[in-house]
Parts: sequence; structure tokens; C-alpha cells
Amino acid sequence: MATVDDPIDAYWTDSEPARVSGHEYRRARRTPVTWVRGGGLATLLFLLPMLFVFGAFSWYPIVRTVIMSVQHTNLVSPATWVGLDNFRAVLHDPLLPKAVENTAEFAGLALIFGYPVPLVAAVLMSEARRFRGVYSALAYLPVVIPPVVAVLLWKTFYDASPTGVFNTILGWVHLGPYPWLQSQQTALPSLVLESTWANAGGTVIIYLAALTGVNRELYEAASVDGASLWRKVWHITIPQLRGVLLLTMILQIIGTAQVFLEPYLFTSGGPANATLTVLLLIFDYAFGNSLGGDYGQATALSLMLAAFLAVFSLAYLRATRSWSAK
Amino acid sequence: MIAFPGRRSRSVEASGPALVGPDEWRRPLVKWGFGGAQLLLLVGLIVIGLGPLVWLAKSAITPTNDTITYPMALFPHGAAWSNLREAWTNVQVGRYFWNTVELAIGSWFVQVFVATTAGFALSVLRPKYARVITALLLTTLFVPAVVLLVPLYVEIVHPPLIHHSFIDSYWAVWLPAGASAFNVVLVTRFFDNLPREIFEAARIDGAGPFRLFWSVVLPMSRPILGVVSVFAVLASWKDFLWPLLVLTNPDEQPLSVRLPQIQAQTSLGVFLAALFIASLVPIIGFLIFQRSFLRGTGLGGAIKG
Amino acid sequence: MKSTRMTALLAVIVTSLLAVFASSVSSAATAKTVTISVASLIPGSTPAAIAQFNAQVAEFQKANPSIKIKPVEYQWTGPTFAAKLAAGTLPTVFEVPFTDARTLGDNGQLADITTEVTNLPYFSKYNKAVLAEGTTAKGKIVALPKGAYAQALHYNRKLFVAAGLDPNKPPTTWAQLAADAKQIAQATGKTGYAEMAKDDNTAGWIFTTVVYSLGGRMEVGRGTSAQATLNNPKAVTALNMLKKMRWTDNSMGSNFDYSWGDINQSFAAGNIGMYISGSDVYTNLVSASNIDPSIYGLGTIPLAKNKTAGVLGGGTEVGVRPDANAAARAAAVKWIDFFYERPLVNKAQAIRNAQTLVASKQPVGVPALPLFNKKQYDLANTWIKPYINVPLAQMKPFNTNIFNQQLVPEPAASTQSVYHSLDAAVEAVLTDKNANIQQLLDAANSTAQGLISQGK
Repeated sequence: MATVDDPIDAYWTDSEPARVSGHEYRRARRTPVTWVRGGGLATLLFLLPMLFVFGAFSWYPIVRTVIMSVQHTNLVSPATWVGLDNFRAVLHDPLLPKAVENTAEFAGLALIFGYPVPLVAAVLMSEARRFRGVYSALAYLPVVIPPVVAVLLWKTFYDASPTGVFNTILGWVHLGPYPWLQSQQTALPSLVLESTWANAGGTVIIYLAALTGVNRELYEAASVDGASLWRKVWHITIPQLRGVLLLTMILQIIGTAQVFLEPYLFTSGGPANATLTVLLLIFDYAFGNSLGGDYGQATALSLMLAAFLAVFSLAYLRATRSWSAK
Repeated sequence: MIAFPGRRSRSVEASGPALVGPDEWRRPLVKWGFGGAQLLLLVGLIVIGLGPLVWLAKSAITPTNDTITYPMALFPHGAAWSNLREAWTNVQVGRYFWNTVELAIGSWFVQVFVATTAGFALSVLRPKYARVITALLLTTLFVPAVVLLVPLYVEIVHPPLIHHSFIDSYWAVWLPAGASAFNVVLVTRFFDNLPREIFEAARIDGAGPFRLFWSVVLPMSRPILGVVSVFAVLASWKDFLWPLLVLTNPDEQPLSVRLPQIQAQTSLGVFLAALFIASLVPIIGFLIFQRSFLRGTGLGGAIKG
Repeated sequence: MKSTRMTALLAVIVTSLLAVFASSVSSAATAKTVTISVASLIPGSTPAAIAQFNAQVAEFQKANPSIKIKPVEYQWTGPTFAAKLAAGTLPTVFEVPFTDARTLGDNGQLADITTEVTNLPYFSKYNKAVLAEGTTAKGKIVALPKGAYAQALHYNRKLFVAAGLDPNKPPTTWAQLAADAKQIAQATGKTGYAEMAKDDNTAGWIFTTVVYSLGGRMEVGRGTSAQATLNNPKAVTALNMLKKMRWTDNSMGSNFDYSWGDINQSFAAGNIGMYISGSDVYTNLVSASNIDPSIYGLGTIPLAKNKTAGVLGGGTEVGVRPDANAAARAAAVKWIDFFYERPLVNKAQAIRNAQTLVASKQPVGVPALPLFNKKQYDLANTWIKPYINVPLAQMKPFNTNIFNQQLVPEPAASTQSVYHSLDAAVEAVLTDKNANIQQLLDAANSTAQGLISQGK
């Protein structure tokens, strides 16, 4: 009986020793003809689209990033090798510390707002006896809205005059008016707020799916032992979910570390670089100058960010290994 | 571990409450506390999740002056349905809408084509070098998108062998969209779970690999293709940075790229109408294909783990 | 085996598809007529404006049957221009601001059109300073001016009246401007004075205008050896002025992230009392925001009473792609002559132009700076006088004063980078009550100096 691990092409190649009436024949020689006959060409043809697309648009660019980071490219004259100059230039850029700080702040705030709340919501939702679908649909709706639409809509909400939407609503309870995007203190949190609104729904759905995998019997056993609701959540739900929890946390950090759209569309990195993120800085290096970009610096910073995320992920996996070990 | 999608798996909606037992619900603290929290959540979801979109719908047909002076009022001077018409024609949202559709269809096709052919090869045909390819695939999963941005752009502007830039060509958006390792892994795993007996039977009937792919595997793949398609179309509709960079001709740009650029030339009411039109397709698509969305997101969390 | 044949067939199909694809990518066959693409209008222009442009294209093609014109919507923004430049997808005839034209020419990214241009009948009449904006360091002409403007003060007459100010007397000193702004804000609740403050170089651009009007300069010298002087005393004064208006007088409203288009839109909607921008923005106010002409007033920027105080000038150049062949270059210059230059020197053309503009409800007579000499400018204006449909009387304060003001060109070295370095300083002052002005300007200065030395 064929199992998942049996290679199907064994059914077509002639390379297996053929057994005829108990005697083993010599393995047929692999020639181009036998390869084609054996389905090798077919397999290659099937893999061709993927090899082409990945080769051209994934593997080749990854290699190019490394190469371009040690070159000076401006697309007009041929590229020249400049060693570590690009990295040095990036490290000396006075905007870099600000960008790193802002990106860290964004990721941190996003974690605070957007990490525990979906979990609480998911636990509540999974226990709903009615309206299950409504909960899920409502939670996920902001996620399907194109990010550009969401940002432009929220930009209208964030109008800092007293007749702006949010200021009007807050005015009903005698709060505000707030400057939202017009102040260096409130600009970044405003961005995080919109970003959480637009993305938390996905996390909720992931948690919901994971919650269905928690064994009911654990809860029943705990109830029999007289455990309260809170204890059940703390000692059963969360540990059972730890794989997903750890995963979503690192994914969220990696995602928010590369935030671009919100700072670009809301504030262009302003006011006074209060919302300048690393991705925005990379964009500025590459595409910000009307006379041509500095692609070397842009790729150097991209590599630095990627390296940081790699190291961070490894450290994270190591640190959480004990907790996620089953 | 993912449930085999073909069977009636424990979907989000199908599984019942487990944490709070039936007698617990009877306890007043739980009933009012937990239940109250649920109600609060529902109200919160409606206000926060739905609120902004309802405001958008309302303001899309409200005259600009009313939106500016009384943003929270409900049609103080009547509705302005002309906003929608003006957005579609004068501001040419209609054209950008069709651009977006065209981009979505192309990206969708490339993604499905690449994922199914690769998944079939890796899962069903199983060449000797499959391990290598899968390893390469997985590495791209762990490379953050930022790394690809600049070199991909330079490659589109000055492709290595062809002396013709692909800037302003839709191929520059369609082809890179296919390089989604996530899709390939998803489809490969799905194919892994298909019963091998069917393949064996087909092979005995004399089916070659192409026949097997087209007539046996593809028809059985509808669930996973549904998930991949839904996410492909949605991702294309939401795409911003890449089309911004490679499509410099305003006539060919999709909604997400054009909308920010026309804001300064469009009155607020018409602009909000344009935003509303831009979100219609994703919203309607979501309401119709909810199952695929929610299953796919749940799968996504499982896959990456 | 059946599948082998199938495989082979598929392989043949795939390779032939690739061949077809590759050949379609190669350039199209050349036709007898010369086809050039030209920058037309900015995206989002009204159908009336587009119709007017197409009418002019038709007229040109009738007079030049061997040239075919392909209009391409075009708007110069920093990032998209660089992208198109790198990709080689700019139209044959395109526009760039004064700030970039010379550098592009020096870098060989604009075609050398010296021979074609010197043959134009009115070539000798060009204003030398304006022509220099499109001439490289080596003396080659790479661009012709499309229009030149001076920075001006736009004000809302209706708000002036509502605040009890004389709408025919816009402020002539900065102190008066601040006082008027305060009065407008207090009387009407609208923004008294607004200034562009977006991170896309517009903040730095307008701020440079203000500093120049006080007598300061942002650079000394030229090229990569220029010295940045962003932190000069007049700049400090300008930021302090801004600080006072923002925090003490509270006359700048609550939203500050205005870019060029946003501030026009807000002004046209009647929310801003005064703001500074190019003298030619009335066209955009009409075409993009449908402004009510009766509210529009145009005055000159208040200048300080010292020798260096001047009004910043700017403009747009029209250039040709460097890879255009001789025939395309000749056709391009013919188009530039017809569309951009002739309406200023040829009476019949000017009148025809004005008529088409009026027919599609576009503004005629928006104040600009002479590209030739003042006499020519005045003459051209008399030709189109019957067609002028802009409220010229309301623009009198500008038209009478502008020629008494010293016109100063924008900083020559790394202009856009200088502006970009100043963006953060302006935004900081507007959003942080305790912003340290000297520190901000010093930081901006060192950033700018670094970019200037690198020739960026």
C-alpha cells in the first residue's frame, strides 16, 4: 500500500532494479533518454515556473542585496566596489538612531496594544454560545480593508482641529482636542493605534483556531478538581497555546520592525522625524532623492536590519525553547 | 498539525465552548462577569471594528461641507449620491478600480500556477533533488521582505539579460507575486495529504504526469486553491509599496497607489466616496468567502509553526 | 510513451512562448513620422483641462504633419522622477524644476539641444538669468524655461474683511503679517497664517523663502565646495517668528502637515487666511479645488529693509531625453517652441492659446515672471488682455510691487537636499513648544553640509 513517503516517480522510472521471475536484472543505465522516459523532464517542466519565479524574484535579489551593499550603484554609470563604505555611511547617519528608536517604540507599543488584547478577545469569543460567526467576521473585517484606505480614513479621523472626528467624539465626554499626528509625542502612538485596528483581527482568528485544538478533557478534569475560571485559563489555556503565542509574538515583532506604510502615508516620517522608521529611511536612501538614489546605502541598511532580525529570532527561539518544549 | 481540509474538520465555527462548563455558566459571577465581558466585546467589536467603516459609508454620500463641520451628524442637509458618481467618473476611480482588478487577476493566476505546479512536482512527482528545493524555499520564508525591495526594484529597472526595463509593465507586479514560499508550502502539504491510492489507480489507468495533474490532482485541490486564491486576490488588492515603485504612469496605477495622490485635488466628500468604492470589493469578497479567509488565516498560524 | 510525447510537446510550446515573449520585448519598428511623447497635465486634472491640451496637440500636429505627439500625464515628484529617469521611461519632453535642471544637465541626463534652440527666432530675447538655469557648466543648453515664478503671499480677502482688515492692503512687513494673522484667527477661528510643513522638502522650501525675505542665505559658494549656512542669524529669527505665531498668537491653526497640494486645497476651501507659495498657484486653485475667485488675493512677501532681503524665485524647465535621436530632438524642440515658448512671443499664438484656455474654463493671465524681458512680458499681457479671466484687480498688490523686489535664485548646490534638511527644523518648531531652535538649525546645517559635499 502506498504511503505518503513513497516517491511516486518510482512508478515511472526504470532506475529501480527490475525483478523478473525472481532474478534481479542489472539496473538500467541512466541516459538522457531514460531520464526523459522516467518522467524527469516532466518533473523539471513542472518545477520550471517555480524555479524561474523564485530564481528571478527571490533568490537572485537576495544575492544581489549582499553584492549591492558593498557597491556604489546609481543606475547611470557602472557599479563600483566600495567595501564597507556604505555601512559606515549608514552608521554615521544622524537619522539612524532616531529611526531605530522609533521602530523599537512602534514594535513595543504594537506589542502592548496588539498582543494581549486579541488573546483576551479570542478566549471570550471561543466561549460564545451564539453569534460565533458574527464575532469572527467583525474582528476580521478591518483586516480585509486595503491598508491605504484604512490609513487615509484614519487620517481624516486624526484631524487635529476641534471638529475632527476623534476630537468631536472625545469632545462629547469633555476630552481633548488632541493633536494626534501634529505632535511629536502623540504621532507614533496614533500610528500604532491604527495599525492595531487594522491587524489585530488576524491574530484573533489565529488564536481562535488554536483554541479549538485545546483538549476539552483538560478543562473538564480541572473543573472536577474545583479550579476556577481564571486558574483554568492561566494553567491550561495559555500553556496549551504557547506554541502559537510564541510564534505570533515573534512574527509580530518581525512585521512591525519593517513598518513602512503607516509612517509613509500618515506623516512621511514627521513631524520632525518622530515617526521615521528604519524602512522609511531605507526608502529615503533609495527613492528619496529626485536626482537618483543611493542603492548601496539602502541595501546596506536592509542587510543590517535583516541581520538584526535573524539574530533576534535566534535569541528569541533559544530563550523560549524551555517554555515551548513539550 | 493541520486538519485535513477535505474532511469536515473542527472549524472555528463548529467547535463549541470548552473552557466554561455548563454548570459554571449558572454561577452568577461567571454568568454576569464572563458573559458581561463577552457582551462588552461584541459591542466593542461593533463600535471599533464596524464603526469606522460605517462612518466611511455614511460620509461617502454626505456633502463635503457637512462632513467637515458636522462629522458625526447624520445627513443634516440630505445625502449627496453624486459623490459616488463623481468619484467613479471625474476622479476616474473607475479606471483605477479596473487596473486593480487586472493586477489582481494576473497576480492570482501566477500564484496559483506556480504553487500548484511546484506543489505537484514536490509532493507527487518527488524528484531526488526535492529536498534541496524545499530547503531553498524555506529559507525565503525566513528572509524579511525588506531585503528584497531594493534589488528587486533595480532588477526591474535594469533586468540582467534583457535590455528593456519592466517599469510600468504589469508583469513587474504579476511575476514577483508568484514568489510566495508560503503558497507553495501550503499547496505541497495539501497534496501530501491526498490519498496515494488515487494516484496509483490513475497511473495504472495509464495517466502520465500531466494527465495526473490536470484531471486528478487539480480537481481535488479546490479547498486549498480557494484559500490560496482568496489570499492572493486580497494581497494584490492591498499591495501598495511595490506598485508605487514600479508603476509610474498614473493611468496604470491601482487604487492603493492613486488614492493618496489624488487627495489634494479632490474634495473630501468625493474622496471618501472613492475610499468607499476601493474597499467594496474586499468587504464583499470577505462576506462571501468568509470560510476560506478564516480557515486560511488559522492555517497560516499553524503552517508557520 | 504518451507522456514522453506530451512532455516534448510542452517543452516546444514553452520555448516558443519564450521566444515570442523575447521578441515582443525588442523595440518596435520605426515609422516614417517621428513620434515623441510629451508631458501633458498633472494627473487628476479636470476633463476640461485635458480637452484643452488635446486641442493644442491637434493644432500642432496639423501644422507639423510629420510629427506625432503622444501626451503623457506627468507630475514632477522627487521619487517618481528618479524612478522614471533610471528606468528610461520619461516622456521625450519632460519638465523639471530649476533646482534639478543644471545637475541633470551636468550629469548628461538631459539632451544637448543647443543647436536647435539657438535657431529659434526669439532666442536672443531670453532673460539671461533665466536661460542660465538650463545651461550646464560647460555652456550647453539642455532645457528651456517653461515658466518662472516668484514666491508670493496668497491671502483670503473674505477672511480679511471678516477680521476687519482691508482686503486691498495685504501686510507689507512681517510684524504686520503676524498681527494680521492673529486678528484673523481671533475673529474668525480660521487659520490666520499657514506654512507648508511636510517632510517632502516643501517645509524647507517655504522656510528658505522666509529666510531669504529677511536677508539670510542658505549657502555660500557653488557645487560640492559650497558652504552650508542654514543656521544663519536670519534663520533663527525666522524660526522664532514662526514659534511666536504658533504658540503665543495661536494663529496657525491645529494642522501643520501641509504639502503644496494640501495647503492649496485648504486655502481654496476658505480655511486659511494667508500662506506663501509660488505666484502661479492660482491655476492649481482653479483646476484642482474650484476656488471661488472672489476670495483670492495676491500680494508680495514682506521683505525686511536690508540689502540682501529678496524674494525667492523658481521655475520649471523643459528638457529632452538624452537618448532622443536627432529627429526626435528637433521634433521635441519644435513642440517646446509651440507649446511653451511661442505663446509668450507670438501674438497670434498667444491669442489662440488664450482662446483655447478660456473655452475650457482654464485661468488666463495668472501672474508670472518674464522669461524674456519685462517689455515682452507686458506686451504679451496686452495681447491676451481680452481673455484674462483671473481677478487681476485682486492681484494688484503683487503685480505692482513684484518688480520692485530683488529676485533671488534658489540655493544652487543640492537644493532639494538643503530643503529636506530644514524640514525637520520647521516641523519641530510647529509641534514642540520647547524646541531648541539653535540646536535644530545646527543639526540641519551639518546634515546639509554633508549632502552638499557629496554632490547629493
